[in-house]
Formats: sequence, structure tokens, C-alpha cells
Amino acid sequence: MNETIVTYLKQFEFVSRGYAGLSPHMATLVSVIIFGIFAFVIVNVCAIIGGLGTYAERKISADMQMRIGPNRVGPYGILQFLADGVKMIMKEDTVPRDCDRFLFFIAPFFCLVGVFATLAVLPFSNGFILTDLNIGVFYLLGVASMVGMGVFLGGYSSNSKWSMLGGMRGASQIISYEIPVTISILSIVLLTGSLSLRDMANAQTGFPTGWYIFHNPFTFIGFFIFFIGILAETNRAPFDLPEAESELVSGYNTEYSGMRFAFFALAEYVEVFVVCSLASVLFLGGFKVPFDIGGNTIIGQLLQVGTFFGKAFLLYYVVIWVRWTLPRLRVDQLMTVCWKYLTPIALFNLVGCAFWMYFFDGKSILTLLLQTGAAAAGGHH
Amino acid sequence: MFLKFLFICSSLAVLFGSLMVACTKDIMHSCIYLFFCLLGVAGLYLTLNADFVAATQLVVYAGGIVILMVFATMLTGGSAFQAHNKFGFKKIPMMGSRETYIIGFISAFLFIAITFKLLLNLKEGLTPLSGQMPFETVRIIGHKLVTDHVLPFEISSVLLLGALVGAAMIARPRRG
Repeated sequence: MNETIVTYLKQFEFVSRGYAGLSPHMATLVSVIIFGIFAFVIVNVCAIIGGLGTYAERKISADMQMRIGPNRVGPYGILQFLADGVKMIMKEDTVPRDCDRFLFFIAPFFCLVGVFATLAVLPFSNGFILTDLNIGVFYLLGVASMVGMGVFLGGYSSNSKWSMLGGMRGASQIISYEIPVTISILSIVLLTGSLSLRDMANAQTGFPTGWYIFHNPFTFIGFFIFFIGILAETNRAPFDLPEAESELVSGYNTEYSGMRFAFFALAEYVEVFVVCSLASVLFLGGFKVPFDIGGNTIIGQLLQVGTFFGKAFLLYYVVIWVRWTLPRLRVDQLMTVCWKYLTPIALFNLVGCAFWMYFFDGKSILTLLLQTGAAAAGGHH
Repeated sequence: MFLKFLFICSSLAVLFGSLMVACTKDIMHSCIYLFFCLLGVAGLYLTLNADFVAATQLVVYAGGIVILMVFATMLTGGSAFQAHNKFGFKKIPMMGSRETYIIGFISAFLFIAITFKLLLNLKEGLTPLSGQMPFETVRIIGHKLVTDHVLPFEISSVLLLGALVGAAMIARPRRG
């Protein structure tokens, strides 16, 4: 049997082992069904997070502009996203006459599938993770590149100038910014020696002293490059050129209405959550709890899940904050930032990390400082 | 059982995708079907215990090459859809010329030759490989790339650098 997939299914074998009479085939089937249920639950939870993201965006932007924001549906207007969803479903599904129907219909699903496929490797805690692929980050980058395809096809197939420009901007922006982001991730892979996201989180500690962002000066810079890069990759301001309202109506999704438009929006908000949690796993300790409280018991797992979501939501807040603070860049500035600044700095960081690992044996800067301090205080007597 | 199911699904995706690539008139749709085909190939790699190759397939082909093809198609205006498109692109009738027939004949010949070569092996009967596949392929691939196969690895990077410089040369604005 194939090891890669089987080991992921084996984690549910305790269920089928409970029923001794099951044949191996049935046991596999039961495992697959349980796996499917877990995947279904996680996708739905993350879709709700995406929905709440739209609510958070409106509420926080209202706060920053001294408005009230949505406050009619439910307590504090928190059910606004459900009302929006219902409205989207009820809306007429308009299709432009001269559009490329096949591509027009398929484009939102590219975005949606690409984003939801990344959820498979997110480590919500040491135990709650759908599949701990040993190529986790690499897989995540691979399926996330489908989003760029969806954005571009959405713009191309609409047969509208605004959509076309938005789609072209989106595709070129996503492809360009993938490079500094990937190189920043690579420096973390260098420190961990593994591509699995769980291993990366486990290599850090619960306290900021053990986080990779404070590991050495290069990763500190790397975090900011990564963060700027993911802002651009998810088409968030100040890099929201693909859907620049003041120039392109609504960019690549101008011609979309109803549920198809909602798919684009949902994919964007879930993707922001995914990349924020990725940033927290790579640089900010991920699910690690101080002192490993609770260990591997269910309480410990829940604490880890809480830590994970807390960090991700904090970064989510920063993303929204940035959007309502900074003005939009021009297209040429966007490309200049990526190719002339971020990419060279990221490359320099990668080389710097490699040298750091070689000369300091992979110790963090704090460990080294403590060692020097101890030696100066007479630790070597 | 589940793996067989996945394998069959991936193979069907490959077959369907590649068939549609050849049968669609619109070159843009062909690119999308090619994307499905490449996804299916990634699925085949995954079910055959080559997870790193599968992810590379996703990153390089599905993410990079297909987007590049779509871009190239759009910028050269080869799509039938673009014939009544209002951006000012004109449809270029590429197919049906002498060159395409020659290229088609050569590729058909190559395809038949390769298929025969594969089928000849089938006659001797297939024996399953002995031994267990390593679970973690990433580490082994990385190790091999910088030890045994470092020369091809480096030479391929020189090739890519050459391509990059060439592209910059072609795209450079002419001075004077």
C-alpha cells in the first residue's frame, strides 16, 4: 500500500478498530468517511471565519472613520454576513452577453478551490490538523497559485475593459509577489530543516523568545517582507490594484453578480485568514502555548487551538488596519517594490540565514547573548 | 481500495483533460483543460507515493506554466473568443497551414513510437518493484540534488539564467 496517504488515514483507525468485525476494506471506508466529515467541518468553520471577516472589515473600518458600521442584523450587527449571503443567493445571476461562458462560470471556483485546498495543511494545534504532509508549505504554495488563475480568468472572460485590466494586474501581481514570499518561507525552512508546518511550529516555543521572528536579524526582516508579500498576494490594500474601486469599478469581478461574486469575496477573506495563520505558524510560534500547558491532553489541544486562532486573528486585524490606513500604490510602484526591493532583500536574507546557521550552529540571537552574558559573568570558571 | 479510487479518478482527469485539450476549438479553453490534465498528473504522482514531485507539479506546471500560456495566448490574441472581443485583438488563423501539418505528423509519429515501446515492455509481464519506497522523499531528493546530481542541477540553473537574459534582451527597448 502507498504510505503517503495511508498514514493520514491511519489516524482514524481507532474508530474502525472499535468494531472488530470490520474487514480492512470497510475500515478504510470508515476512515475515509470520518476524514471527509472532518474536512467538511473545517471548510465550513473557515468559511464562517471568512464571513465574519467581512463583518470585521466593515466594523473596524467604521471605527477608524468614526462611523458605526453594520448594527441592524443580530446583536451588534454580527449576523450581517448571513444577511449578505442570503441577499447574494436571491440576486439575479447576470451573465454578460459577449462573455466566454465556460471560463466565466469556472473562474470563481478556481479561487474557491485553491483557497480551501490550503486548509488541509494548516496546523490548528499539535493534533488538530487534517494532514501533516511532510511537504506542507510547498503544497500550500502550489494550490494557492490557483487563486491567481481564477482572478485572471475572471477578468479575461468577462469581456470588459475594467475586468481585463484588473485580471491582468491581479495575475502579474500574484506571480511577482510569490517570489519574495517563497524566499522568506525558504529561510524558515532552512532553520527548521523540514517542510511540514507542524514541525515548524514545534521547533519554536510558546514565548516570543523562541519565535522565529526573533531568531536572528534576517528572520526579523524576513517576517516583514513576508507580510508585505502576503498583503499583495491576497490583493489587499495598499496592493488592491486588481480591484481598485476608484480606477477599475471593481476590477476583475466587475461583471460578476450574486453568488459568483460572493465566491470571489469569500475566497479573498478566507485566503487572508490562511496567510495570516501561515505567518503566525512560520514566524510567531503558531499553536505553541507557554510551558506547554496541558501537554497532549484535550485541554492542551484546545489551548493550542485558541493560541493559533488568537495569533491569526491578531494578524487579520493588522491586515484590515493597514487597508484602512495606507493609500494605494501605483502599478509601476507595485512592481518596483517587488522586484527592486523585496526580492533582493529576501535573497540577502536567505543567504544571511544560511550563514547564521553555519556560524552559530542554528542558535538564536538571544541564546547567544545569554551565553556571552554568562561567560562575562564568570560562567566559565 | 481508496487509493485505487483516487488513482482512477486522477487517470480519468488526465484522460479527459488531454482529450479536451485536443478537441476544443478555443485555445484559451485548451489551456484550462490542460490545467485539469496537469492536476490529474499531480494526483497520479501523489497516489504513487511521490508527494514532493506532486507538489512540484502543482507549483511549476499548474501554477506557473499554465498561467504563462494563458498570458501568452491573450497577448498574441490567438483565441477564437477574441475574434469578437472588443479590445482590438485580431484572431490569427494559425491552424491548417503546412507547418502545423508537418508538426502534427512528427508528433503523431513520436507518440506512436513511444506507445509501442511501452507496450513491448508489457509483453514480458510486469513485476512489482521489490523493497519499500521511502516515506519521506523530500530529504532524499534534496540530498541527492546537492551530492550525486549537483552538476545537472547547476547546469539547469545556467539554462534558466540564459533564458532570463535572453528574455530581457528581447524585451529591452531599442535605443537609437
